[in-house]
Order: sequence, then structure tokens, then C-alpha cells
Amino acid sequence: MATVELKKLTKSFGKTEVLHGIDLMVEDGEFVVFVGPSGCGKSTTLRLLAGLDEVTSGQILIGGEVVNNLAPKERNIAMVFQNYAIYPHMTVRKNIGFGLRTAKMPKADKEKRIDEVAEILGMTDLLERRPAQLSGGQRQRVAIGRAMVRNPSVFLFDEPLSNLDAQLRTQMRLEIKKLHQDVGTTIIFVTHDQVEAMTLADRIVIMKDGHIQQVGTPSDVFQNPANMFVAQFIGAPSMNMLEGTVIDEGIQLGAGPVIAHKNQFPVDKITVGIRPSALVPATGGAPTLMAGTIAIVEPLGAESLAYVDINGTMVIATVSGRTPPIVGDVLPLTCPPEDIHFFDTASGKALS
Amino acid sequence: MNFYRNLSIKQKQVVWAWSFLAIPVLFYTVIRFYPTFGAVVLSFQEWNLLSDKSWVGLENYQKLFSDPVFWKVFKNTFVYLLIGTPLSLVISFAIAYHLDKVTFMHATIRALYFLPFMTSAVAMAWLWRWFYQPVPIGLFNNILASIGIPQLPFLNSTFSALPSILAPAVWAGLGFQIIIFMAGLRSIPTSYYEAAEIDGVGSWTVLREITIPLLKPTIVFLVVFSSIGFLRIFDQVFNMTTNDPGGPLNSTKPLVLMIYDTAFNAFDMGYAAAQTVVLFTILLIVSLVQLFIMRERKYD
Repeated sequence: MATVELKKLTKSFGKTEVLHGIDLMVEDGEFVVFVGPSGCGKSTTLRLLAGLDEVTSGQILIGGEVVNNLAPKERNIAMVFQNYAIYPHMTVRKNIGFGLRTAKMPKADKEKRIDEVAEILGMTDLLERRPAQLSGGQRQRVAIGRAMVRNPSVFLFDEPLSNLDAQLRTQMRLEIKKLHQDVGTTIIFVTHDQVEAMTLADRIVIMKDGHIQQVGTPSDVFQNPANMFVAQFIGAPSMNMLEGTVIDEGIQLGAGPVIAHKNQFPVDKITVGIRPSALVPATGGAPTLMAGTIAIVEPLGAESLAYVDINGTMVIATVSGRTPPIVGDVLPLTCPPEDIHFFDTASGKALS
Repeated sequence: MNFYRNLSIKQKQVVWAWSFLAIPVLFYTVIRFYPTFGAVVLSFQEWNLLSDKSWVGLENYQKLFSDPVFWKVFKNTFVYLLIGTPLSLVISFAIAYHLDKVTFMHATIRALYFLPFMTSAVAMAWLWRWFYQPVPIGLFNNILASIGIPQLPFLNSTFSALPSILAPAVWAGLGFQIIIFMAGLRSIPTSYYEAAEIDGVGSWTVLREITIPLLKPTIVFLVVFSSIGFLRIFDQVFNMTTNDPGGPLNSTKPLVLMIYDTAFNAFDMGYAAAQTVVLFTILLIVSLVQLFIMRERKYD
């Protein structure tokens, strides 16, 4: 159990700087997920934390102690890799026990510890098997077991669910979350999947191009995205972004409609963001925000997504799954005022 | 054509497979199996290339097993094998293991190691033969003399002749073995090593418990390949001891050289064929035993 702190962390490979001064405080027992597109620096950050790569400048503190120059084993961390990194020629028991090799404890205690971990992960029956005889989910569990066996103060997960099929991924996600609730160890988890990030995290760290874009709870980053990147990265389908200009009545969208807004904006060019889930057909006297022709309907079961053509600009709206409108219909759309986001078009920053 | 049309998909595949297999099958039958079979038959006959072949039963084999030269040669062949194979594997692994970590001029260094493998064995043998000459010609003796150590007889002593021939043979095979080892090392995912690093396991344990077990398929291949090579050693011996083929008192003579001598100097074809059959049997047994001992467990 420990806190993790990053102070002005940078990393360069040769002349290319890939992390540009990251600051972050992870509380003891917190589940923090790093999310971002590939090449954003999330895995690099994790490898720096693990001690697999060397820090270029800045500091990493684990449990309040600067660990920049400590070897991985001295940091008391454990890591689960994307390809599991479990050894094909060893049994599950040997794989899990591998992390205890250097531990100074009697053999009987080591065996006991392995059995405990296997018990927690529900793999007692599989201990004598080899990885080739296990399913993907079971292999992942072995990898987690090997990480758990040493009682590390921090768990690092590097895209551990990417190699699993969709159904198994959902199941393992749940197991990891449950595991965290049971053992309460600090977890830092890297993924490119925003759904994984939303479902698992106490706090999400959204990264892009070696910078942290926003740190916050899942609902925080969903409801109050700090900038256009976060707004579009979190949530699926992506937030509708409509460029416009400030006029007296509010914002004149390039697509035609005017969004009424009372506040003063510091800039002229505004991008209006509305999540597809908030953009719904205007019924029962709700004021029409915009209207357009339906171009495509994608049924998802409980609801359908309608791609609506508003004077040449396509927006995605959520419509009924039971009685979806028909392609070619003109659909008036509305959105609650609190679900309309405003961004500075030039800088991409959110405006209140 | 109608007949082909009416075949099931499976049957069509079989027709195609056999059409393509026909050429290698023919090749192996005519070029490999028929002569092998012929050699076995010949080993029970007496023939000097000109005379008629006459049946002699097991006489050739009886003669062989009571021939002290054969047992000397038999021992030499196994000395080549038992020293050459482990030695060349250990050296090539050590080089590959470290070369794998070198990034500076990696390709060039690798090419340099590979160079001997591409060089003609005859040219190499003659070069090494020159190295082994006494002062003032030989390189090694010149070096020894310059630092005040007495000259060594190398190829001229019954004790040192065999190792002197083994050295270039090992050296010549290194390049190939290094390349194969490096390919094997490269195929081990780096995350295996990183996981071990995080677990704090020492590099010796990593080598013993991760690298070597995962290299087992590579090692099996190289052991079999190199064993067959050493059991069939000929070029180096023949070229380095041309004036006295087989070295002083047959001290370097391997089985293949004995076969060559019997066949093309003594023209005792039946006797040579019997030796060939013995060599073939040895190769077969050694290969099978190695494959059995180091049989690979199926991972993944």
C-alpha cells in the first residue's frame, strides 16, 4: 500500500521527448486509469514507474520515497503485461511462485502464499497445469496471481485486457475491480479503451501527445470535459462538435441553427459540443434546437442512432429503438441546456 | 476431364498434392533411397570396380570389426562429436547471447561471425594448416616463439593433431550457429525478461530458467545438425593432412576418410560400403537418441 507521485516527469528517447512534464498524485489504495490514443505516453509513464525505463528528468515517488534510481525489484511494485508474460514451460504454480524466488521466506510459507493467491483467484485446481492448457482469461489470472503473490504496494497493469475477446474482457474487468475492492492495493492501469477506463477507475488520467489533458472521476471527465479532445475521446459515439460564431442572440452555428446563450464569451469562434445521448427528438413541446434530414439509422437494440444532416453537417442523435424514424424524414432535435458544452475553437479549451 | 470433375474436393486436393509430390518422391527414390539400398547390398559383396561382384556374406563386417584401424577411427569420430558439438554450442551461444545485447555495429559484427561459414572448407583448412606450421612460417608458432614459449607440433603429434583439426571445424560452424541462436533469442518476448526484472530475479536464474528452456527447440536443432556435421567430418581432415591422410598413426582419421581411403585408394568397394552402412547406422541412432532426449514439449 502506497501513494504514487509524479513530479515534472519527462522522458526522451534520443532527441524526441515523449513525455513533457507530467504531474500526478495517486492516493493510497486508489484505482487510477491512464487512457489515451496510442503514442500518448501512457505506457511510457507506466514503464518509468516500473523502472523498466529510465526517467529523463523529474521525480517518481512511491510511498513518499524517490525511486528514480531504484531497480524495479526495489520499488515493491508488480506489473501485469499485455501478453501476460507467463512462462510457457512452467506450471501455473511455478509461474505464480516465480516472483517469490528472491523472497527470503521458508519454502513452506512460499507454497502457502501461492495457495492463498490461487484461492483468491479461483485457480486452485489449475496449479499443476501449464499455460498452454489454460484459456485466455485463466492465463490473465495467472499473470495477476504472479503480481499479487509478493504483496506489492502498487499494481501496474499494462493493457491487460487487450488480448481477450469482448465477452471475456467484460468479465475480467469485473474481476479486476472486485480484486481491487478486496485487496485495496493502489492500482495504476493503462488502457486505450475509454469504456475500460470509465468502468474501472476511481480517477481517470486522459493523456495525449505526452501531456495530461484532464484528471478526474469518470463522471467528472464525462460531464465536464476540460477540452475538445477529452470531450470526444470519452463517450461513444463521440460528442457532436459544431463550429459557430458568437452573435448577440447566442452562437450562430456554421450549420445554420442559433444556440441561444446569455453568457459573455472571451472569444468569437466557439465550438458547441453535444453528446449523441443528449441530442434527442423534440417532442411534447420541447424547443427545437436544430432540425435536419435523417441520413442513416443504426439500430443498437435499446436505442437507435440517427445520423441527421443539418445543412450539410452530420450530427448523431439518439432516437427510440422500438420505433425509430425513417431515413429521409425531417427530424427536429432538442437537448437540455446543461448538456450543451462550449469550447474555444482555437485552443480547444472548455468555456463555462 | 470428366473424371476429375466428378471427384470430391478432398479427392481433388489429394490428386494435386500427389502431382506436386511426384517430383521430390522421384528424386528421393532415384538419388537417395536407391543408392542407399545399393550400398547396403554392396556391403555384402566384394567388388573392386572392375571385377564382377561376388557375394561374401558378412565377411566385410567381420573384417571391419576386427580391424584395429576401424576402432581407432570409430573413437576419433566420436571424439570429434563429443568435443566438437558441446564446445561449438557453448561458444556460439555465449557469443549470440552477448551479441544480442550489442547494438553498436551489430549487423557488421554478425556478418563477420558468419563469414567463415560462407568460406570454402578447403581454403580454410589450408589457411589453418599454414597457421600450424613451425617457425618461421606458422602464425601460432611465431607468436609462441616471440613470447618465449617452445614451439608446439600441432598437426605432427598424435596428441595434438586431432584438436588442431577440430579447432577450425568448430570455428567454421560458429557463424551459422550464432545466427540460429540469435533468431531463437529474438523470438523470446521481451516482456518475459521485464517480468523477471520486476520480480527481481537475477540474470543467472533468468538465463537458466527462462532463456535456455525457451531455446530448447533451437538447441535441439543445433545439436542434431552439428552432431551430424561432426560425425561426417572430412574436408578439414583431408585437406590439413594431405601428405599423410588421417594424421600421424591415424590419430585424426574419421570414419568418412576411412571410407574414402578404402573405396578410392584400395578400391575395396564392398568393404567401403560396409563402413558406410555402419556410419549410417551411427548417424541414425545418434539423431534418434538426441531427438528423444530433447523432445520438445508442446507449448501454446
